[in-house]
This record gives sequence, C-alpha cells and structure tokens, in this order.
Amino acid sequence: MPALTQKIRNIVSRTPMKRGRRIRKIPLEGIKRGETILRTKGITKKFPGVVANNHIDFEIKAGEIHAVLGENGAGKTTLMNILFGILRPDKGEIYVRGRRVEFKSPLDAIDLGIGMVHQHRKLIPAHTALENIVLGHPKTEKILDMRRAGGEVKELCRKYGFKIDLNTRVWQLPAGEQQLVEILKALYRGAKLLILDEPTSVLTPLETERFLKSLRTMAKGELAIIPFITHKLPEVLSVSDRVTILRRGKVVKHLETRKATMKALAKHMVGREVLFRLKKPKVKKGKEVLRVENLSALSDKGILALKGVSFSIREGEIFGIAGISGNGQHELAEALAGLRKTEGGKVVFQGRDITRASTLERLKKGIGYIPPERVGVGTVGEFSLVDNIAMNLYFDKEFSKRGLLDYKRIRKHTEKAISEFDVMAPNIDTKAVHLSGGNLQKLILARAIPRTPRLLIANLPTHGLDVGATEFVRNRLMACKKEGMGILLISEDLDEVLQMSDKIAPIYEGKFVDIVPAEKASKETMGAMMAGAPLERRTKRRGKQLLGGHK
Amino acid sequence: MRPKLGLRGLKLEKVLVLTGRDAVKISVASIITAFILFSIFLLLEGANPIEAYGHIFSYAFDPRLGLPTTIHRSTILLFATLAFILPLKAGLWNIGMEGQLYLGTVGAFAVAYAFGNLPSGILIPLMLITAGLFGAIYGAFAGFLKGKLGVNEIVITLMLNLIGYWLLYTLVVGGPWMGIAESQSRPLPASAWAPMIWKVPFTVFLAPAIAVMLYFLFKRSTIGFQVKALGSSQPAAEHAGINPLKISLFVMVVGGALMGLSAYHTWAGDPAFHLIPRPEGYRGIGELTYWGIMVGLICILNPLAAIPAAIFVGSLKEGGTVLVRRLGLTYGLDYVFMGILFLTFVALQFFYRYRIMRVKKKG
Repeated sequence: MPALTQKIRNIVSRTPMKRGRRIRKIPLEGIKRGETILRTKGITKKFPGVVANNHIDFEIKAGEIHAVLGENGAGKTTLMNILFGILRPDKGEIYVRGRRVEFKSPLDAIDLGIGMVHQHRKLIPAHTALENIVLGHPKTEKILDMRRAGGEVKELCRKYGFKIDLNTRVWQLPAGEQQLVEILKALYRGAKLLILDEPTSVLTPLETERFLKSLRTMAKGELAIIPFITHKLPEVLSVSDRVTILRRGKVVKHLETRKATMKALAKHMVGREVLFRLKKPKVKKGKEVLRVENLSALSDKGILALKGVSFSIREGEIFGIAGISGNGQHELAEALAGLRKTEGGKVVFQGRDITRASTLERLKKGIGYIPPERVGVGTVGEFSLVDNIAMNLYFDKEFSKRGLLDYKRIRKHTEKAISEFDVMAPNIDTKAVHLSGGNLQKLILARAIPRTPRLLIANLPTHGLDVGATEFVRNRLMACKKEGMGILLISEDLDEVLQMSDKIAPIYEGKFVDIVPAEKASKETMGAMMAGAPLERRTKRRGKQLLGGHK
Repeated sequence: MRPKLGLRGLKLEKVLVLTGRDAVKISVASIITAFILFSIFLLLEGANPIEAYGHIFSYAFDPRLGLPTTIHRSTILLFATLAFILPLKAGLWNIGMEGQLYLGTVGAFAVAYAFGNLPSGILIPLMLITAGLFGAIYGAFAGFLKGKLGVNEIVITLMLNLIGYWLLYTLVVGGPWMGIAESQSRPLPASAWAPMIWKVPFTVFLAPAIAVMLYFLFKRSTIGFQVKALGSSQPAAEHAGINPLKISLFVMVVGGALMGLSAYHTWAGDPAFHLIPRPEGYRGIGELTYWGIMVGLICILNPLAAIPAAIFVGSLKEGGTVLVRRLGLTYGLDYVFMGILFLTFVALQFFYRYRIMRVKKKG
C-alpha cells in the first residue's frame, strides 16, 4: 500500500500542472491602473475531434477593456470557461499578477477576484436586486444584515456610476439593468476582473448605449473587463481599448482598437473579406403573394399584442418589419405561420383565405417559417440532420409511401440541401445538438428554402449569428427574392432591415407606425418610429397612400 | 459544468454517439454490479450469495416449478412495458397500465359471458378486440385531456386506475359476475381459453411480435416520426405542422389498447386462473404492470430491448420469491434486490453520456 501511494505521488509530481502552486488569496486590492492583471501562456484545450484552444497567449491590464472577438466555434467559450475555472486546460499556464495559478473550480477564480457575467442571466426573478446581489455571498452570516449590505452595494453603485433601484424585484427590471445587477453581484464579491459573455446580445439599442457607457466608467478605475463577442462589431470599436481575435482556436490577431476598422476586424474573424453592404438586386415585382387585413392576435399572456395590421407582399419583394422585441412582431409571425390563433382580421395567401388554415396546410401550400429560436423550436437537438430535414418532408407524398418514410429519398435530399447550404457537420447522421448557432440556422434554411415556398417568414434570421453566418443568411434571402419568393423579414437590427427590404414597417405596440418604401427611409426616422415617436402629418399621408395602393 | 473525478490521470469525456453495443455493455455491467451489491445483503442475512442466485434462477427457469409462471408474468410485463414506451416516446407518461388491464378484463369477460357458446375461432378474437377497445377508451380519455386541455396525464391515469379497480370489484365481489366463491368470478367457458402452442398460450408470442412492430413504427413510419418529434420537442413539432392533440390521442389509445389486450392473456392464458381472482389476486397482477415503467426506462424506450429486459425482470420477480420461501430469509428481501437493480441501472446510465478516459502522457 505505501509503495502504491509513493508511486501515485511520483506520477503526480511529474505532471507539469503540479508545479504551479495554488495561491488562495492574491491581493488584487490596491492593484494599479496599467498593471498586468492576468496573463495566459500557451493555453491548449482539446475536445474529441477539435482543438478548441490552441496555444492562446493573452493578457489584460487593470483599467482596460480587452475584447475577445471570434465567430461561433472559434474557441471563445472554451477560453472563457478556462479563465473562470470551469474547464481546465490540457496545457498552458495562467498567471494572475505575475503569479502562476491553477483553478480547480470557479470558486478559486472568484477568490482571486475574477467575476463572470453569463449571457443567460442567472438571477432569481422574484427577489429584489439587492437580495440577488447578496445571495450566496461568503460574507453573509446566519442573520442577514440587509441594511449593511445595502449600504455597501450602494457605495459600489456610486463608485461606478450605476443607477439602479436596489429594492425593485428583478423581473420588473429591464434587461439592461438586470445585466448591471449581474455585474454588481460579481463586484460585490470583490471582482477586479470581469468576464462578460455576449454582454449586449439581449439589450435593445438604447439599453446597449447606456450599458456601454457604464462599462467605460467602470474601466476608468482599476477594473479590467473582458467582453467576449461574436457579432455587433461597432460596439467593440466604440468601447474597447484592445482586441484579440480568435479563429479556429488560435489567436490570429492582437490589435489596438483605435487602429482597427470594422472591415479589418471582420476579415480577421472570418478569414476573408466580408461585405457589409449588400447589393439589392433589381427584381421585377410579381403578383401579390400575401395580403393581411386588420390582423389581431393575443400574446401568450392573453394581452392583445397585435392590434390590427394590414399590408401586402408581392413576389420578389422583401417586406421588413423593424421593431424592438415585444411589440407584436412575433405574434404576427406566428399568426401567419398558423401557430397562433387570430383575434380578427384576414390572411389571404395567393388569393385564398387561409385565416383558419392549420400549420400543416400552410406548409403544404408553400409558406416557410424561420423561427427566432433555433434550438428546440427550429430544430430538434436529439434528431440527426436527416430527421431534422425530414420534419419538413414527412407529410409529402414524394417522401413517404403508405405511411412509411422513404429514407433513401430523404437522405438524398438531405445530402443535397446540406451541401447547398454549407452546413458544416461530420455527416448527415450527426445530431443537431452538436452544431453551432450559425450551422443550425443554415440547417433551418436548408430545410425551408429548397422546398421553394412562395412566402418566407424570416423571424430574426441573423439574431445572435456571427459575421460570416449573417452574411450567408442575408445573401440567401436575397437569392430567394431573386427567385420570386415573397419575404417577410422581422428584425430588431435596423441596419439589416434598411439594407434588405423593399418596404419597411416600423412596429410599435402592436401597430405599424407607417409603411415606408426603402428609398425614402432613413435610419433616424425609422429609429424614432421604432421607439414610438409620433408621425409628422406629411409622412402619415404618404403611408396611407401606400397602403391604399395595394388594395 | 463538467463533472470532475478526484483522480489524476483520468478525465471524463462526452459520448457523442452511443452505439448499441456500448448500451448492451453498460446494461450488463449494471446487472453485475447489482448482483455484487446484493451479495452484501445476502451475506448480512447469513446466506451464501452464490447458492442464493443459483436458487433464484434454477427456480425461475425450472419447467416443473417456476417456468410457466415466469413466462406468463414476463409476457404481462412486456405488454405493460410497450404500453408505457409508446406514449413516452411522444412525451406522455402512461402510468395507467393497471387500470387499462382492469378495463381490458371487463371487456374480455363481458364478451365471454355473453357469447360463451360461440366457437373459439370467433370468441377469442372478439374478446381480444373488446379488451383492446376498453383499454383504448381508457387511454383516449387521458390522451384527449392532455392534448386538448394540457391536463397532466400522470394524474389522470393514476386516478383512473382506482376507478378501474373498483369497477372490477363491483362486478366480481357480490356483483353480477360473482362465482361460487363470493369474491371470485365465474370461470371462463372452455371455448375462451387461450390455445397452446408448444405448451404456452399463443399470446406469449403476440407480445414480442407487437414489440417488433413498434420498433419498425418508430424507425420507419410517418406516424412514428411524428411521435418522436413531439416527444423530443413540442414547439419544434408544432412548427413542423404536427398536431399534438392527434398524436397524444394516438399514443394513448394504442398504448391503452395494448395493455387492454394483455387482460385476455392474463386471465385466459394461464390455466391457474381462467377466472377473475379475488381482489388481492387481481391487484397483485395490476401492481406487476408498474414494473413496466422500470423496464421501459432501463431499455431506454427501445421496444426490442424490452423483450430480454422483461424476461429478465420477470424471472427475477418469480425466482426472487424462493429467497423467502425456500431459504427462509427475511420477508421483502426480493424487493431489495429489485430496488438495487434499478438503482444500478439508473446510476450507470451516466455512462451513456460520459466515458472515462485515461489522460495521455504529455511529451
């Protein structure tokens, strides 16, 4: 027995990991601006089949915002998890203030003053902001001294210029302030280095602006911030000091933000030139595909969310709806796809009234729907690519005979669709759950588009996608337009709507504020309308004329 | 977060694709682990484990002793497993096998008593159909409430089980079907007895045949595809035009019908019965159906794997009785064994998702 323990000890002492001594508490207190707070050397992490991180060298100084950019699957998440102690690297070293450290769990990272703010917030909605911040803090004793804690948190707020009502329950706070609560939680635990995962992905434009301002204020002191970002490049440019770009697990570029341009960043991320301006192809508009008259629908909560909208879409036309989430656009999309009951109004598709048609009938008639949630709604994670594609084929006589699926044909169709839409997967029997976000969206397109629908409802088609996948999706939609499909584009990204659409309808509180032809729409007026600004009389009249013209 | 092992040199790796062979290996490992763990209990009781296991299996598979009952009970168990698997593939928990068995019994016996003088060739199919129909009606009830109104199917089926129990009770104990003994029913007419093939009732072959059919239903058919889609993700299924009400009804109706069918096998297939026994008796069989849940879960809803699993569990249940009867060990020890078995199965299902890898030495 003792011999065995000795043997184990020998093996253990030979592993390079052991050499880095664990240091429980590093005084990050009193760190000065400009001092290197964290450095990694040669971080390598392998997963079956991929090298997620390949010799990553990276450093961040106190008082700096150092963005890490990369497409989905570039290894950002892995790096982030390694820095926070969730994963352990196969190789490589991490130094905090010049001292070698080794994280056994996130607790070690927290002890050293590293805080993480997840993309999907982990707060308790029914508790107040303060309760959430104090919850689970090591300082809390058996009896909570909320007053003292409140005072300390308030002090933090003052220091970093946050304006939050700490006694509001979290569910009542807007998304942007919830994000600040998460950050406060980390700061209250003594974090000097914040890791932010896609910090602005769920924020509205206005919230984003406010949030970025707070970040700047925070970084004026000794705090160091690492936002991890896949898209929304302009934000990176506006807020960070330095940028590290990852591609396929490797660092491809370190650069200072003031020397960077959007184009250069995108090029490094994707590995090739990316066009930010799409050319709108000239397409002759055909017959009317869809006409919606005075359509209303309830939200899941039973509130009238869509309050009588009317519009029409013609072949080869992209009709863009711009609006901040929760203004009735999702209810509209679902009502058109047959997934939501309508509360009045009429939907006419290719001259036929389909107001009461089921989802299946609409699919068969040629209405394609691209839902905003890709996992669990757009695709079934546990299904293979073949079965996911079959979700749109099983009802077709061409792919099933006497109640049995014709897998030979389905597989052939899948192979073709997958290669046409450039879905990256080892083979068509791979489960969808192993695909990245961009690949999933390509899979969803590969399911809908080759079935040549006459109407395509694209609900947030590029939301959360990286630069390369976004470009792919937009180009594909343009190609559909050229083929003569009518497209309803719903997006929160005003630039996208302006670039893609022929007509634009800003939606606010369940109603179209106006319907404006793209050439007459400007970002300023559209942005104001999305926020519900009242119309000038002149534009209103023009909108009415436009509507009248369709009927 | 990744689970961690406290050992250096080993790490956990996610299993991306679980092959059938790996699944079998893991199942065998679970069984072996259970035998080893139960040996501790046997030793504490002062019994020799090897001798005890020998007794269990020699009894369960001895043609003069336990074998007929083992076959009979395993078949009921297989029916129950299939009736559980099909709805769960669509995401519905059918806990109503007990009640479906009772309702099937009502259907089968009503026909047998009413048309007892019909020839077997007509009477038996008629009994099977009615039994299935009664089970199906039970299932339809739960399926409709779930699909249309979203009422929890577990609650409905559990409640209906009690109704089924009392319905049979009223008919048998002092009721219209009362036999010579007050609490048993009249015997079935001889024309209703299940014909034997190779000394076992033909229904024993019916159950595996249905298992194979279900397997192909899931693998190839359009309806099976819709069932799987609904079970994997309801929103995704709805987006693909699948009607949840239709599919919920389908799985519950067919599941209920399968269990209802088994009522014919249960009473007409075993010469020891040929009647509805006293309430404790039929409740005993009713409770057996709950093991179908366990069998369904340990064979990860694969109807083919359910065949050996049902036989295995059925033989253990039958053979386990000797621990108490023949070896004179503490009452309830056979249940301890079953409990351990399912615990090890659940625990080792961990390896469906992870495997332990040795970390390669770095250069």
